Amino acid sequence: MKLEIFIDKEKTEQVLIYAHKKTPLIEAIEQLINENQEIFLGIKDRETVRLNISEIYCFTVEENKIYAYTKSEKYQLKTRLYKVEERLGEDFVKINQSCIANIRKIERFDANYAGTLKVIFKNGHTDYVSRRNLRKVKERIGLYE
Amino acid sequence: MNKYMKSFLHRGLIFAGFGPIVVAIIYMILEKSIPDFSLSGTQIFLAVISTYILAFLQAGASVFNQIENWSVAKSLFCHFITIYSAYTLCYLLNNWIPFKPQILIIFTLIFAVLYFIIWAMVYFSIKAASKKMNKKLS
Repeated sequence: MKLEIFIDKEKTEQVLIYAHKKTPLIEAIEQLINENQEIFLGIKDRETVRLNISEIYCFTVEENKIYAYTKSEKYQLKTRLYKVEERLGEDFVKINQSCIANIRKIERFDANYAGTLKVIFKNGHTDYVSRRNLRKVKERIGLYE
Repeated sequence: MNKYMKSFLHRGLIFAGFGPIVVAIIYMILEKSIPDFSLSGTQIFLAVISTYILAFLQAGASVFNQIENWSVAKSLFCHFITIYSAYTLCYLLNNWIPFKPQILIIFTLIFAVLYFIIWAMVYFSIKAASKKMNKKLS
């Protein structure tokens, strides 16, 4: 099997395998990757679900509870936002006091009539960038490079 | 209490203290620049209380524009009415403007024009920033 590795900080980290059939080697790679993924445990309807970091659009605080938004669901997390933040990589940035966004899941920014910067995620969820966090968000998306 | 009401109170209480600070600075400037400038205790008390309430409402009312199920027109209208009512009442209560129809009309016009100019400046500067950021995203 041919192996190619591309080091590129601009791209989403991913492993793609083209194979004729699922072999023990592929299963081993699959297991190794799953074991190394940052996982959050989300709760919805009393069911606990393993959430891969790459499928999370944002983490928000609502009514003193932490939620993780995925493409179509919202899961409660039994942790604190600052603890979540400690575990996150470069793809995530705090956009306001109660929201940490996955930059790769942001559809676009827009001006809000309130005079704040609105964030529209690819799943349709919206939030805003606070003035305090604006510079950090700009830096993270590469505006000052 | 819903999250918007909490946010209103939270923001309002954070910024309310700035009102009396601003009024103290203005009175200090007036005292330095106008000979024999003096104020009664009641005037100072009214000014401090009213600017505290003004700053509270001004900061808290910014929440209106973030209520997702409100239309833009509704949130802008509520924001404008809240701020306008608060300013007008405080100005009248402190005798900063006399209670005369012509003066009130002029005050309202100036307030509305300035409100729109400030809003437009903030909105278009953020619109420009969002365009730059969107280019980086794509």
